[in-house]
Amino acid sequence: MTQTDHPATARTPRRRSRWNATDLGLIAVFAALVAGSALIAAIPVGGLGVPITLQTLAVMLTGLALGPARAFAAVGLYLLLGLAGLPIFSGGRSGLGVLAGPSAGYIIGFLFAATAVGWLAAVVLARTAKRTGKLRPILLFAGAMVSSIVFIHGLGILGMMVNAKLDFSKAFLADLAFYPGDIIKNVLAVSIALALHKAFPDLLLRRVRTADPRP
Amino acid sequence: MSSHGFLLAAYVPGRSLIHRVPLWLKFLLVLGCGMASFLIADWAVSAAVLAMLCGLFLLSGAGPARLLRAVRPVLPVLLAIGAFQWWQLGAPTAARIVLNILVCVVAASILTATTSVQALLDGVASLARPFRRFGADPERFALTIAIMLRSIPFVAGAYMDVRDSARARGLERNPRALVLPVFISTVAFARQTGEALAARGLGEPEDPED
Amino acid sequence: MSSIVLDRVRVRVSVDGRPAPKTLLQELSLDLTERRVGVIGANGSGKSTLLRLLNGLVAPSDGTVRVDGADTVRSVREVRRRVGFVFTDPLSQLVMPTGREDVELSLRRSIRNGTERRARAESVLERFGLLPLADQSIYELSGGERQLLALAAVLAVDPAVLVLDEPSTLLDLRNRELLRRTLAGLRQQVVLSTHDLDLALDMDRVLVVEDGKVVFDGGPAAAVAHYRALSAAGLPAPGGGPAGGGGLDLRGGGLAGGGGLGGGGLERAVPEQARLEQS
Repeated sequence: MTQTDHPATARTPRRRSRWNATDLGLIAVFAALVAGSALIAAIPVGGLGVPITLQTLAVMLTGLALGPARAFAAVGLYLLLGLAGLPIFSGGRSGLGVLAGPSAGYIIGFLFAATAVGWLAAVVLARTAKRTGKLRPILLFAGAMVSSIVFIHGLGILGMMVNAKLDFSKAFLADLAFYPGDIIKNVLAVSIALALHKAFPDLLLRRVRTADPRP
Repeated sequence: MSSHGFLLAAYVPGRSLIHRVPLWLKFLLVLGCGMASFLIADWAVSAAVLAMLCGLFLLSGAGPARLLRAVRPVLPVLLAIGAFQWWQLGAPTAARIVLNILVCVVAASILTATTSVQALLDGVASLARPFRRFGADPERFALTIAIMLRSIPFVAGAYMDVRDSARARGLERNPRALVLPVFISTVAFARQTGEALAARGLGEPEDPED
Repeated sequence: MSSIVLDRVRVRVSVDGRPAPKTLLQELSLDLTERRVGVIGANGSGKSTLLRLLNGLVAPSDGTVRVDGADTVRSVREVRRRVGFVFTDPLSQLVMPTGREDVELSLRRSIRNGTERRARAESVLERFGLLPLADQSIYELSGGERQLLALAAVLAVDPAVLVLDEPSTLLDLRNRELLRRTLAGLRQQVVLSTHDLDLALDMDRVLVVEDGKVVFDGGPAAAVAHYRALSAAGLPAPGGGPAGGGGLDLRGGGLAGGGGLGGGGLERAVPEQARLEQS
């Protein structure tokens, strides 16, 4: 948070029209982080073969850490390269074929969920800047859950219905298998994001002087 | 850092017909196969397309071992999907779904096995060029992709370091302790990278008068 | 030689939750015209901030920094063309998967023609003896080779000034020696920070920085002696002080808590990281 007379909300990243080199670095490295998380220890779940990975953790964290615009860019870059053929989707899959697979909805959902939780995180962090206590983590967790339920689970169910030709109740049941993991991963993502914002105070809400050499 | 050859090892230098096919045509092939998965309704057609693509792959000289290696990671998942669909919707549908996914995997492998990362980046940058009028900057876009690709080994290494140190200290039961260092060091790495780019005069937005 | 002029420069940052801004660098005026300038001081003393001022990575809160007349805030582009910057960790600096591509990336702005650019990159790599390694993955190179490559990529665009932030910290003795020789042979003006006192002794002028202040400015031998005295001052005498009064009592905090390493240990690591980030 910066020491100025302006209210905290004046510093949300939406005000910047162009990204600087540090933003490009963050976008690229978080895209790599999402890719890397997809590749370690994928466990197929529920017989349908939509694997559980640390990926939703990395996706939600990207939003919580970077805010909406840069999170959209990071997850979008990951999707773009994966769809273009780099084997960076879970289980080393790639290409447009993924869009025809049962996990298509989840993969597309990542983009929207990261953006939504990023937007919520920017609002929550700015509004709770002066407050200490449990409010900030609770609001962030609520934001993460809403974003992942609406976009990741919502689109995930839709994807299974379209691509795997399941009816709603079956798709819903298959999706339920992911909830326990997702709740844990969202708790983790929020606690990690808070630690990141503590370690790098200008990560989302920027400091004027050191972070941005251009006036 | 066992994964560092990952993504880049797939490319096999050569001068085969497939290598010399222009990049856009290979892009089109991959795109087309993605569409095919929606359109093909008969498993026999899927099987024929798959056989043809495998033939193309082998024509590039990359060899059957590489083809197998490209397909192997998806096999367990495909088996699970196939079994489930067989049980739910019957054998022909299950075969069609599984074969269509394989079609996409092999098509993508043809592209990555015969195109270097540099060529891919140039291709992406030129694809992005028409978006310049909307404020896109193809150079910075390609640069971001390059940084992402070169960061994957770092990220993979960070994940592995943390896993090893967690094992050594017996912290498996505290997931936050397990993953937090990955993310702290990753953000630090990202910011150092950004700073280093800025210091070299790279990656900063162009001034309007340029 | 270039002229680097800091005119009544101060650097302050405001940090979340603190009422007053934190001062990283107190008011400072300097005129650096020597060919080899060293900056020494403890971790977090403000060395890095001082160096980062020189090519616009950090902007002064008050005052101005000029390199050959160009202001580091208003003409940041011009300044960065003039001032090359080498970081401690070459892996964060090398962007491309191989050395050759990284050097070519450096040249992208100055040479538009691809063939010309490749030829120039080749000659730069040859000059540093890096040609045999040019097409290897940067992850397969040794620390010394990487640092040399980072140096080559920065020097490829022929800056007038070279700034190096603790360039030898991650190097072994042999590679430090190689770095010292390479630096000695450069015709650029060099400004570097270091913990390596041998390297500091190679300089023409050395600044000692302590708590955001330049506390000594002069010849290398005198500066190093000053720094040694300064570093020894705050420590307990060898053999330990009076029992119970020392600062190194491990029974109290350090190892207590047993299994709580996950929670407490990391909590403490985070503010530490924040502090490093600001320095």
